[in-house]
Amino acid sequence: MTNGKHQGFYFSFITVLSLLFVTVPFILALGFAGALARRAQFAPLRWFGLAYTSIVRGVPDIVFFLFALIAMDQGIEYIRHMVLCPEVTDPVRQGNDFIVCAKAKMPLSSAPEWAHKSYAFFQASVAFSVVFGAFAANTLYGALAAVPAAQLETGAAFGMTPRQTFRRIHLPQMWIYALPGLSNLWMIFIKATPLLFLLGIQDIVYWARELGGTKTGIFDYPHADWRLGYFLFLLVFYLFLTWISERIFTRITRRVSRGQATIGGAV
Amino acid sequence: MTEQPIALIADDIHKSFGKLEVLKGVSMTAHEGDVISIIGSSGSGKSTFLRCINFLETPDSGRIVLDGEEVIVRKDRRGRLLGADAKQIQRLRSQLGFVFQSFNLWSHMTVLQNVMEGPIQVLGRNKAEAKDEAMERLAEVGIAEKHDAYPSQLSGGQQQRVAIARALAMQPKVLLFDEPTSALDPELVGEVLKVIRQLADSGKTMIVVTHEMGFAREVSSKTIFLHQGRVEEEGPPKDVFGNPKSERCKAFLASTL
Repeated sequence: MTNGKHQGFYFSFITVLSLLFVTVPFILALGFAGALARRAQFAPLRWFGLAYTSIVRGVPDIVFFLFALIAMDQGIEYIRHMVLCPEVTDPVRQGNDFIVCAKAKMPLSSAPEWAHKSYAFFQASVAFSVVFGAFAANTLYGALAAVPAAQLETGAAFGMTPRQTFRRIHLPQMWIYALPGLSNLWMIFIKATPLLFLLGIQDIVYWARELGGTKTGIFDYPHADWRLGYFLFLLVFYLFLTWISERIFTRITRRVSRGQATIGGAV
Repeated sequence: MTEQPIALIADDIHKSFGKLEVLKGVSMTAHEGDVISIIGSSGSGKSTFLRCINFLETPDSGRIVLDGEEVIVRKDRRGRLLGADAKQIQRLRSQLGFVFQSFNLWSHMTVLQNVMEGPIQVLGRNKAEAKDEAMERLAEVGIAEKHDAYPSQLSGGQQQRVAIARALAMQPKVLLFDEPTSALDPELVGEVLKVIRQLADSGKTMIVVTHEMGFAREVSSKTIFLHQGRVEEEGPPKDVFGNPKSERCKAFLASTL
């Protein structure tokens, strides 16, 4: 349980947890950006918001992840290729190959392993943020629209600026409508983390299978089939994570529904 | 009696919603200390007129002058008015206390927070000042002991009294009441009218859209009867109620008895 391979297993827990916590602010930020774009006066911005939420939500996560990963990879390398080696005149696409000069590789082939790993982690965070941001945008858009117009009009009647009305009235009253949707999203997000494996990151499910199996790609240990045990442990881990989350969401919900004339707000 | 200075002028206000012309040129002048009651049947344009005064509805044409300052407007492509200076409209709104028919207390704030919000955010008062002021205003409407409650925990009458305190805390030049008792149970109407009556006695300038004829008759210094978007009759309440010249006004008053 303390050999080098298990270090990888333990480290993958940290990877998963940090993905969850690093990505959340970006998901919320993209969610707000998308929701506000859809509410914008300026029509092109509104179309952009609608396109973002509709397209990303309409595509299977896995397909989007794989697409986004390759597109991001090639896009970044293509730009670097153009900037860093203008002397190379060969086309980037040669038949089936995508070839950029060595200096344009991202990360560089000579970069240490941690750089490769963090780059993969960065890409995964971006992919997750974009996908879940679209769902969050839809939830927040609905929640913003659910706040009674009279509450906002009253702010205006007192001489508040639109910004003050948004910050002091619209935003605080929106949460109660957004939380059920956001908590769903968080649960789905937790359960989607094994998709990391698709993005080339060795997550906990990957390690459980590798370490539990008798004979796998990298191990050939003479032990029995332990996968059941490893997977059971993962079930408990995920259940624990979602259970804690439920409790936290319940607490937040109670807090933001104070005073609201809703069933949940009954004091 | 010497004439008081003019507090508010609404001049020839027109407003349509789609094809429906709700206001067909309504004018009104309020002097300081005036209590003007606006009466009329549903759909006569009373509430729309009140909402035009603080630009919650933008009039299609006409002028609003508060304390000598005219609301700056410009015309859009179709010739309708737009508030041209958002800052000015915000400032003028902060000087017009508005009390809504359905109270509209901010539901996520306590009573005290509701009353402190405008002075802090709009007038830039500090928290301690705003709190003292708020507690005084709440005491004035007789509800200081409920300052920690949320609006949903209060009766309609209590909520409306808080809403009045909230408007008063802005120290407005003119108070606008949009049917302040119409959403209340009959037994709660009295407590709210009592507060509004106190304010009238203390010399506040007020414009009250109301269905309470007894109140309009006793408290106001001037009554305006609106009918189908026009001023059909206006004058001291003893004339409008006691000796109406217009047939429509007579019919309306007969129907409300």
